[in-house]
Amino acid sequence: MQRIWSVVLSVWAMLAIVAVLAWSHRPAPAPPPQAAARTIVVQTPNGKRQFVVVQPAALGASHATTQTSGVPR
Amino acid sequence: MSAHLERIAFRAVGTDCSAAVTAGGADLRRARRALTAAHAEVAACEAALSRFDPSSDLSRLNRDAGSWVAVDVRLVEALRLALHARVATRGRFDPTVLPALVAAGYDRSFELLEERPPRQTDGWRAGAAVEVDEHGVRARIDAGAALDLGGIGKGYAAARALEAMRDAWPSLPGALVDLGGDLALWGSTPEGGPWRIDVLDPRSPGATAGRLLLSGGGVATSGRDVRRFGPGRSLHHLIDPATGEPAKPGPLAVTVVAGHAAEAEAHATALAISSPADARAHVVANPQIAALVVPHVGEPFGLGALPLARTRVLVRAA
Repeated sequence: MQRIWSVVLSVWAMLAIVAVLAWSHRPAPAPPPQAAARTIVVQTPNGKRQFVVVQPAALGASHATTQTSGVPR
Repeated sequence: MSAHLERIAFRAVGTDCSAAVTAGGADLRRARRALTAAHAEVAACEAALSRFDPSSDLSRLNRDAGSWVAVDVRLVEALRLALHARVATRGRFDPTVLPALVAAGYDRSFELLEERPPRQTDGWRAGAAVEVDEHGVRARIDAGAALDLGGIGKGYAAARALEAMRDAWPSLPGALVDLGGDLALWGSTPEGGPWRIDVLDPRSPGATAGRLLLSGGGVATSGRDVRRFGPGRSLHHLIDPATGEPAKPGPLAVTVVAGHAAEAEAHATALAISSPADARAHVVANPQIAALVVPHVGEPFGLGALPLARTRVLVRAA
């Protein structure tokens, strides 16, 4: 009888260890999808073509422009 | 609710201005408080630094040249930065150029200028003494000298306005102040990345000479493409302190990126009167700045570690 109980306890202990390990080694959540880098073709004034990689952060409308400040009113 | 850009636009320092903050839906009240603070700070800087306002602190200092004058703390700080820039640019930026600027014809606010030939500067020389007493919040300039902070004032005001926004909303995620194209910025955009700043190409309306990606610091552009005056619009406002006349060497426009918007503007002023070789040597001597130069003829070129959006050229085909 004692042997049966020790087997049962061993099985439960092993299941507990497996559960703890599974909990602590959960797969990391998938990162949010990132915008991919984009390759664009640039035509220079002298007729040469350049393939340029543009960072994802560079895409989209500008937040501001810089230029020589306008003539005051 | 996702973040968005909360923005105000206003006229100040003689040009179109705006301020913007990155704000979520629950941040609207804090965002508006920050934007109001930015607007108020720009107005306070203009009241202290404008040479066209006879009641400004700068105008009082110019009128009482030779004596100590109690002035607003903003003028004290701007003068300290201007003097530092005069040393860093080896005199190519000099706040004491006002007598030469007036002799050239830029003697009143730009919209009121009358066409007249330039006058002689009557022995004017750059480098007049400017003393700043930061503890006493006062300043003194040489008798006969006069200051113009046009080459640093907008950048300084933009940086102050940015600080005012951060004081009004300490946890704000990102902000940008734009005073006629001179910018101070910090933090992140509503999309979570850096600020995208397009450098306009003055040679072709609507075209850009490059795109900058920035998360802090200042950007300023100076050039001879806009403020022209005198007979046949042959003169411009960029005085060469070495000659006391509108500068002959220099590109059409130059954009500078630096850690502080006032520093960016002062160095942009200096590079706008520099030959290409001098400009290269200047950026090598001041590695904390980078510049995008738009020449009169030819392709724009970068100097220093310019944070341009284009990352690398993969293939160069004939």
